Amino acid sequence: MPDTITFKIKRQDSESSGSYWETFVIPHVPNSNVISCLMDIQANPENSKGEKVAPVVWECNCLEEVCGSCTMVINRKVRQSCSALVDQLEKPITLEPMSKFPVIRDLAVDRSRMFGALKKVQAWVTADGYHDLGPGIREPQNHQEIAYKLSECMTCGCCVEACPQYSLNNNFLGAAAISQSRLFNMHPTAKNIADERLDTLMQEGGIADCGNAQNCVEACPKSIPLTESIAEIGRQVSGKLWSNIFQA
Amino acid sequence: MDSHFLMRRIHSLTGVVPVGLFLVYHLYLQLYLHSGAETYNTAVNSFYDSPLAIWTLVIVVYIPLFFHAFLGVRLIFESTVQPSYTYFSHLLYWLQRISGIGVLLFILAHVWNTQFGPWISGTWGTHFEHLSSGFSDPESGIITKTVYLLGVLGAVFHFANGFNTFCMTWGIALTPKSQIRVRIFSILLFLILSASALYALSAIW
Ligand code: HEM
Ligand code: SF4
Ligand code: SF4
Ligand code: FES
Repeated sequence: MPDTITFKIKRQDSESSGSYWETFVIPHVPNSNVISCLMDIQANPENSKGEKVAPVVWECNCLEEVCGSCTMVINRKVRQSCSALVDQLEKPITLEPMSKFPVIRDLAVDRSRMFGALKKVQAWVTADGYHDLGPGIREPQNHQEIAYKLSECMTCGCCVEACPQYSLNNNFLGAAAISQSRLFNMHPTAKNIADERLDTLMQEGGIADCGNAQNCVEACPKSIPLTESIAEIGRQVSGKLWSNIFQA
Repeated sequence: MDSHFLMRRIHSLTGVVPVGLFLVYHLYLQLYLHSGAETYNTAVNSFYDSPLAIWTLVIVVYIPLFFHAFLGVRLIFESTVQPSYTYFSHLLYWLQRISGIGVLLFILAHVWNTQFGPWISGTWGTHFEHLSSGFSDPESGIITKTVYLLGVLGAVFHFANGFNTFCMTWGIALTPKSQIRVRIFSILLFLILSASALYALSAIW
């Protein structure tokens, strides 16, 4: 009996069709990861019943856990498939697309909503015009450590996949966008529109939709202190609420 | 700022002020159960002597509680169940919701049992006798006791854990260190209020 690995993959042929499970048995290669196994399946797309089927579709890019595109649900938990080492996983290995985004095909999902959330909170440094604005304002030393940590977010979706408050049929911005708002609200240049970010976060889908379950911070592969960011933005909107009531 | 945000903030606030504070006061009052029927009845009735008593109750307790409960129940239906993420905070998140429902049912039964029931039957005022006879009833006593035990512990848990998330919601505890401090405080709050409530109940057990 050759050394094999069994994969149970939740498949979906198109955006609108239903999903079904398919099992694949492939030879075990030591030190392989989930992506390399998916490549093996792609090279020989034959399911466990011996039928030739369409190859399984997935997304990946950097292969070193910095781009976030390969995120999927592996053995019921969301994570990056490029850094999921097969030898460390319980068998059979189940692969599912993230459940909080529309499925494009098989394991590939459409994460546009997350990028849309970053646009809504204007998660960027505002620079007006193309002319030379001179050197930027220096980032204060005491900000650098936390700002660097926050900037590691790769918009992968783990935090929102694990969040009980984020669902396909609401419009919660999610922990990543809240945390990015914190990053840009502390940036010496980008903080000029901090108020506009808070305005967005004080609307439907904003910070009030967080229920403090704290799954996001546990699920984040980059160990970004998301609950600290949520509390910090909570404080900023509390301040704005106060001024809206008493100083407007 | 939209009404959705405002409603959530009012929900969070009402859970602590005034409803949470009322819970603390209410549990404190129950310690008089140990001072015997007369003292207990006087302590409870003296509150109702004031002409403002009924207004205070409605404005400080019933309206905020009704608002909090109504929105709370709506919020529960907006959650998605995520059983594979077995983290402690996630467990608390669900216990907060389950205890909310439990507390709602308990409060309805409790208000019926101690307010409207006695009002209708004209025995209102002899609170101690009413409670202790309910507890010692040979048939329904055990059920009443169980309901009170679960209801009171549920309410104390809901308030203590709610205080913990309240501090996140309003940005009172920012750093992981201060969030741990608040969590320790809310555990202490849970233990002290539970001990006080159990001690009070022991007078008529
Ligand atoms: C009567 C039925 C009740 C229901 C259905 C209910 C429901 C809820 C729910 C679902 C939450 C979570 C909200 C969120 O995290 O977004 C919550 C939070 C809370 N509840 Fe209740 N609750 C009830 C009664 C009470 C009572 C009696 C108290 C006080 C003793 C209380 C105090 C709190 C506190 C302090 C919070 C935390 C608010 C925050 O996270 O900012 N609740 N409640
Ligand atoms: S915060 Fe963490 S889990 Fe969420 S998108 Fe960014 S890197 Fe992924
Ligand atoms: S704390 Fe909980 S509810 Fe809030 S964003 Fe994180 S996972 Fe979602
Ligand atoms: S391929 Fe970029 S994170 Fe996995």
